[in-house]
Amino acid sequence: MFAPSLQHRTSSRERQHYARNPPQPPNTIRIRTPNPPLSDEAMSNGSNNNALGEGVDVVPEEDPRAARWREQYMRTEARLAAVLGGACNFDLLDANVNSSSAAADLAPAAHDALPTATPKKPVRTIDEDDYGDDDDAEDEDDTRTSPLLAKSAPNGTAVGGLDPPSLRMPTLSSKFGLERTSSPISVHAKSSDDVRKKLEQDKKAAEDAAKRSFHTLFHTLESDRDAMLEQQKLDELDRQVETEMSGQSANAPVAGTPVAPQQGTLSTTNLGASSLTLKHLIARIDAQRDKVHASDTQLRSLISEVRKNRSKWANEDRVGQEELYESMEKVLMELKAGEHANPFLQRVNKREAPDYYNIIKQPMDIGTMMKKLKQLQYKSKKEFTDDLMLIWANCLKYNSASDHPLRKKALYMRKETEKLVPLIPEITVRDRAEVEAEERRMRNGDADADGAEDSEDEEPIMASRGRKAPSKGAKGSSTTTRKAPPAGLEGTPGPDTKPAVPTLNHTVSNLKNEFLRADSEMEGSVNGLSTPPPGTLTPLGPNGALRNGVHGSQTDISDADGTGASMSGFFEEDADLDDLEYKTWKQVTKKDRATIAAERHRLFRDDQLQVDEPAILRSKAGMRRWLRHRKQAIEEESSNNTASQPDGKDGVAPTAGETLAEGIEGEEERQIPDYYDPVCAVPDLNERQQWIEDSEGHVIQQFEEYMRIVPKGQFVAPEGSLVKKMESNMRQMQETRKICAKIGIVKQMQLQSQMYQNQFQKYDPQPFVEADIEPMVVSEDGPVMAPYVCRAALQRSVGKVFYHAGFEEFQPSALDAITDIAGDFFEKLVKSLAVYRETPKMRIPVSTAVPNASNLIKWTPRFTQEEAVLHALQVNGVDLESLETYVKDDIERLGSKLAGMHDRMRSYYAELLRPAIDNAGADGAGAFNDGSEQFVGGDFAEDIGEDFFGFKELGLDREFGVSFSVPLHLLQNRMHQLHASQNTNNVATTGVLMEEPQKFEPITMQTIPNHIGLVQDWFLAKLQDNGNEALIEDDELPPKQRFPKPRLPPTGKISSPRKRPLREQQQMARKKRKLDEGREENGGNGGANSQNKGIDKPLGKLKFEMPRKENQAVNEPEKDDGSAVGMISPESIPAA
Amino acid sequence: MPREPIYITEWHTLTDIIKMMFVSGETGDPISETTTLIEQIVQDQVQHMLRECTNLATRRGSKSISTDDLFMLIRHDRAKISRLRHFLQWKDVRRSVKDSDDKGGDAGADVGADPDLLPGAGAGPGAPGGGMDAGKKAKRAKVDLVWDVQSFFAENPPLMDDVEDEEEEEMTYATLLRLKNADERTKNMTREEYVHWSDCRQASFTYRKGKRFKEWAGFGLITDSKPSDDIIDILGFLTFEIVQTLTEEALKVKQAEDLWKKSNGGGGKEEKSLKRKRERGLFDPPEEAREPVQTAHVQEAYRRLQKGNNKSKAMLNFTRNVHRSALKLI
Repeated sequence: MFAPSLQHRTSSRERQHYARNPPQPPNTIRIRTPNPPLSDEAMSNGSNNNALGEGVDVVPEEDPRAARWREQYMRTEARLAAVLGGACNFDLLDANVNSSSAAADLAPAAHDALPTATPKKPVRTIDEDDYGDDDDAEDEDDTRTSPLLAKSAPNGTAVGGLDPPSLRMPTLSSKFGLERTSSPISVHAKSSDDVRKKLEQDKKAAEDAAKRSFHTLFHTLESDRDAMLEQQKLDELDRQVETEMSGQSANAPVAGTPVAPQQGTLSTTNLGASSLTLKHLIARIDAQRDKVHASDTQLRSLISEVRKNRSKWANEDRVGQEELYESMEKVLMELKAGEHANPFLQRVNKREAPDYYNIIKQPMDIGTMMKKLKQLQYKSKKEFTDDLMLIWANCLKYNSASDHPLRKKALYMRKETEKLVPLIPEITVRDRAEVEAEERRMRNGDADADGAEDSEDEEPIMASRGRKAPSKGAKGSSTTTRKAPPAGLEGTPGPDTKPAVPTLNHTVSNLKNEFLRADSEMEGSVNGLSTPPPGTLTPLGPNGALRNGVHGSQTDISDADGTGASMSGFFEEDADLDDLEYKTWKQVTKKDRATIAAERHRLFRDDQLQVDEPAILRSKAGMRRWLRHRKQAIEEESSNNTASQPDGKDGVAPTAGETLAEGIEGEEERQIPDYYDPVCAVPDLNERQQWIEDSEGHVIQQFEEYMRIVPKGQFVAPEGSLVKKMESNMRQMQETRKICAKIGIVKQMQLQSQMYQNQFQKYDPQPFVEADIEPMVVSEDGPVMAPYVCRAALQRSVGKVFYHAGFEEFQPSALDAITDIAGDFFEKLVKSLAVYRETPKMRIPVSTAVPNASNLIKWTPRFTQEEAVLHALQVNGVDLESLETYVKDDIERLGSKLAGMHDRMRSYYAELLRPAIDNAGADGAGAFNDGSEQFVGGDFAEDIGEDFFGFKELGLDREFGVSFSVPLHLLQNRMHQLHASQNTNNVATTGVLMEEPQKFEPITMQTIPNHIGLVQDWFLAKLQDNGNEALIEDDELPPKQRFPKPRLPPTGKISSPRKRPLREQQQMARKKRKLDEGREENGGNGGANSQNKGIDKPLGKLKFEMPRKENQAVNEPEKDDGSAVGMISPESIPAA
Repeated sequence: MPREPIYITEWHTLTDIIKMMFVSGETGDPISETTTLIEQIVQDQVQHMLRECTNLATRRGSKSISTDDLFMLIRHDRAKISRLRHFLQWKDVRRSVKDSDDKGGDAGADVGADPDLLPGAGAGPGAPGGGMDAGKKAKRAKVDLVWDVQSFFAENPPLMDDVEDEEEEEMTYATLLRLKNADERTKNMTREEYVHWSDCRQASFTYRKGKRFKEWAGFGLITDSKPSDDIIDILGFLTFEIVQTLTEEALKVKQAEDLWKKSNGGGGKEEKSLKRKRERGLFDPPEEAREPVQTAHVQEAYRRLQKGNNKSKAMLNFTRNVHRSALKLI
C-alpha cells in the first residue's frame, strides 16, 4: 500500500492533478466513506488505477491494511493542506472523523454538497475564484446528483435496462456501492463516461464562462465579417456535400431509412448521449427514482416514445449508429466551426499547391469527412479519428517550416480534436441481427460465466457488459483485473506489478489509455466484438501519445480551473498566443455572429439599403431569451447581494425547468450577448419616465428630480445700488419731463388765442418695469442658453442706459446697433477673462520643513481671480478709474444735476403760471368771492406755500382728467391775455416803429352822418338790420364767426368771388326771408318806417344775440371770452 | 502719421512758442529745431481738429463748424473741457465789460489779458464795480455743453442763482497744479523777470493775429466756413494747451533721462552742478544754465502722448485686424 502515498509524494504534478479533480463529485464524496475511498481513488486518478485495483482487491480481505492506507492518505492530505493553506485543518480533522463514521450516514449526506466538499477545500484554494461560480456548481450538481442518488437508491437491480450511459452509470455505481466486489470494467466504463461528460461539462463551462464574460466585456463587431465569411464558406461546404450526396441519393435511403421502432427489444432504444433534453429528464427521473412507480422497462419504452425527434442517423438496423454518428457529427461540426478550421474545410487545390499531392498521399479534409459521414462510411470511432488526425498530420507534414502559419492552425485544430475525441463513444456499428444473435448467446452463458453477481442483473445489456469481464478474461487473467492486455500494449507493466515511480508521461498516457480502453471494452462488451487495441488510437507516436495523455489530464485540470490558463501554460509550443477569452468568444459566438452579420449584410448588400429584403424584426424567441438573461442577471445580483453561499440545489430546479421548457418550444440557444440583438430587447427605462397608471386609470405624474425652475431674476437687472440710482435718475427725468410738457402747454397757451382740449398730448410716462421671463423648467444646472432672450435683455438694458443718458426716444436700429456692439464687447471681455483664467498653472515648489517632502510641488493659478479680472478689463480698455468716474460723474452727479434741473423747471413753471393765478386773485370776485380771510390776511401764499404749485399742477392734471377745479379755458384765457399784454409791452419797449392804427369808430345811428353820403344809406340799412345797434367790425366778431380773410392765390389772380360757408348762406337765406316778411309788414304800415324800425327790430335783435354779446365783450373781456372759449372746448360750456 | 505740410506763410509763431514753452517751464531760449518741431506738431493738431470738426458738422448737416464741434472733439478730457468753459466764460465777461466800457467809457483795459492764463488773478486786476457785476452776469450765462442735462429736456428754464458748479472746482485740479508750478518758478524772480514772465504768459497764436492764424491753420482749405471769433479763440486756447502739454511732457522725459544719466555714472559733476545751482552764485547765469529740451525729448513726449489706451482697440481683440490708431489730440 505504499504505492499511492509514494505517488503522491513523488510527483507533485500528480498530486496536483489529483487535487484538481473535483469535477467528479462522487469521488470526493466517496473519499470520505471508510472503504470506497480506495476505489474512488482509482476512478478519479487513472494512473492509480492499477494500484487501486489491487487495493480494491485487497480491501475486502484485510481491513486493517485499508485503514492504514487511509490513515496514510489522510496524513498526506493533511500535509498537502498544510502546504496549500493551513486554514483548513479543522476541516481535515472533521473529514477524519467523518471518514471513520459509518458509510450509511453518507448516502443522505451526499445531498448536501457543502460538507462533502470540505475536505477538498484546501486544495481548492488554488483556484478558488472559479469555484465561486454558481453555474459551475449547478452543472456539477446536475450531473452529480444522478450517480449519487442512484447510489443511494436501495435497489440497484431495478436500474438495469437502460443503455444510455447516464442511466447505465448510476446502476453500475450503485451496484458497486452495494457490493464490495467492484467490477473494474464498470468502473472504467463509468470513468470513460465521466470523461465524456466532463468534456461536455468542460465545454459547457467554458461556454458559460464565456457567456458571463460577454457581459463584462464589450466586443466590437469588427470580427463579424470574418465570421460571416467563414460561416458562408462552411455553409457552402455543407451544400456541396449535400449535392454530392444527392448525386448518390440511391444509397441514402438504404442507409438511413428510419424503421419503426420495435419496442420488443429494449436494447434498440439507444438513446443518443447527445440528446440534451432527455439527459435532464433522465437525470431527474434518476434523482427521484424511488418515487417513480414504474419498472425500468416501462420507463425505457416511455422515454423512447417521448423521443420523437430522433436524429437522422437513427437506424433500427444498425446498432450504435445513431449514437456514434451523432457524436461524430457533433465533433466534426465543432471542429468545422472553429476559427482555425478554415484552411481544412476543402480539399487542397492543386493549383494552389502543385506539389501537394506528391507529398501527401492520403489527402483528407473536413468536407470529405462530412461526405463520408453522410454516406455512413465510418464504422467506428477509430476510423473517424484517424481521418481527423490525418488532416492535421498532412498539414504539418506539408508545411514543415516551423513558423508556417498553417502549422499553428493545424496544431490548434489537433488540440481541439484531442479535446473532442473523447466525446465520441467507442461504438462500432453493427447490424441488428448480429447484435441480437450475440445477445441471445450471451444471455445463455450469463449464469455460469459471471456467477451470482451477474445473475442479479436483470438487464440484458448490463449483463452483457458485466459479461465483458469474461471476454476480457480471455485476454487477461482474472475476472476482476482486466488490465493486462492494454497495459501490455502500452508497455506498462501490469497493475499488480506496477512500478513505484512511474513517469508522468506514462501515468498520464496510462490514464488516457485506461479511458479509451474502458470505452472500447464497454463497447466491445455491448457489441460482442473485440475492439482494436486502444493504443492504435493515437497514430502520432509516443509524442502524440504524450500529448493525448497530457490532454486527458489537461481536461481535468481545465475543468477544475474553469479557466484554461494552465492549459496555455502547458501548450507553449502551440503558437496560439491569442487572448484566450477573446478566442473563446470568437469560437463560441462565431456561428451566431455570422448569422446575425449575414442578416445585416443582406439588408445592406452592395453598399445600399436593400428594400426588398425582409427587415430584422423582433422575435418571440429573442424576447424570451432576453427576458431570461435579465432574470438570470437579476438573480445573480440578488444572490451576490445576499452574499449567501450559492446553494447548488436551490439553483437547479428553476434552471432545469427553464431549459426544459425551452427545449420543448424548440428555441435555438444563442451564445451571444444581448447587444448583438438589439431588436429583441426593451431598453432600460428610467423609472421616472415610465408610464404608470394608478387604479383609476390616471397617469401618475412622474416628476423629474433633476428638473428645476429657472430662478427668478436671471434676465432682469440685479438689485444693486447702482441700478437703484440709475432708476431713480430715470424717474427724476420723467418727473421733470412732465413739468416740461406742462410748460410747453402753458407756453402754447400764451401764444395761441384759442386752444382745444385734444390739442395737447398728455405726457404720461409709464414707470420702468423689467419683466422677467415666464417660469421655465430646465433640466440642468447650467445657465439658460437662450441667445434671443439674452439679447433682448441686453437690449433692454441698453435702452435703459440710453434713457439714462438723456435720450427720450431712439430709433430701433440704433438700439440694435448698440446692442450688437455691446454684446460683442462683452463677449470679448469674457473671452479675455477666460484666457487669463485658463493660463497654465504655475508650479511652486513648496519648501517645507520636512526634508523628504522636497518633491512636493504646488500648482497655483497664474493669476488670482482679481488679477484675471483686472487684466481682462485692462486689455479691453477699461480700468477701474474710468468705471468709478462713470459711476460718480454720470450717475451720481447726474442725479444731483437732474434734481437741480427739476427744481429749475418747477420754478419756471410756477413763474409762468403765477400771473394768471394772481390775476384771478386780483380779479377777486371770481376766485375768492367768499371773501375769505386768508386772502385778506395775506397768508395766502404762506398757507399754500409749497402746495401752491402743486395745486396748480393738480388743477391742470384734473383738467385733463375728469374733474377740474380751474377750467382750462379760464386759465388759457388769462395766460393768453397776460402774455399778449406782456408781448405788446415788449413790443412797445423794444420799440416797434409802426403804431397801432386808430380803431375805426363803430358805426352807430349817431355816427352815420359823419360818413360820406354814398355809404350812409347802406349803413343805415345795415343798422336797421341790426336793430339800430352799433355795427360790428369783422375783426371784432368772435373768431368762429369771422369770415376768412380772402387770400391772394399764388397765381396772383382773384379768380372768383368769395364763397360763403354753406351754413352762412342758409342763414342768410333765412334772414332774407324774414326780412322780406318784415318788409311786407312794414310796407303795410305805410311810410313811417324810419320811426318804427326801432320798435320792429326787437324781433330781429333777439335773433342776433351773439353779436350783441360780442359787443359787450368789448367792454368786459372775461365774459366775452367765456363764450368765445365755449366754442373751443364745447365740453366745458355746460359745466360752466 | 501722414501730415500734409500746409505752410502758407512763414509767420512768427516761433516767438509765441518760445514764450509758451518758457511759461511751461522750458528755458528762455530753446533750440530752434525744437520749436520748429513743436510748431509742426501744433499745426498738425490744429488741422486735424479742423478736419474732424468739419466731419462732425457735415454729419450734423451744417456747413460751418461750431464751438460744439470743438467741444465734441475734446469731450473725453474733462479737465480740458472745464478749462475751456472757464475760458469762454471769461471771454464773455471780457466782452460784456468791453460793452459796458464802450457805454460807460470806464476803465478795464487790463481785463483784456487772457483770463484763463491767469485764472487766479483773472478777476483781480480789473476789478472795478461795473466790471465785477458784468462778470457775474456773464458767468451766470455759462457755457452749456450739448450733452449736458438740460439737453435732456425740451424746455430750457433760466438758471437759478444758487446753482453752484461744483464740477469746475474739481476740474481745476490740473490748473491749480500748473499755477503752483508757476508760483514756484516766479518766486525768486525779479520785477523785470516777472514782467517778462507775465508777458510771456499772454502769448497766443491767435490774439490779434487771427488772419495769419487762419491761414496757418488751413481755414479755407480744410473747411470752407468762415470761423467765428469763438472758434478762433478756442483754437488759440487749445494750441496753447498743446504746446504746454508737449513741453511739460518733454521736460519730464528730459528729467527722466537726466536721472538715468546720473545714476549711470558721471554723478560727481552732476552733483557739483546741483550744488552750485542750489547756491546760485553771483555770476551764474540765472536759469539758462539748464540745457534746453532737445527734439528727441519732444518726439518722445509726442510719442507718449499719442500712445493710445486699449479702449480704442478693444473691439479688435480676438480678431486679426490691425489696429490703426487715428491721430490723437493732445
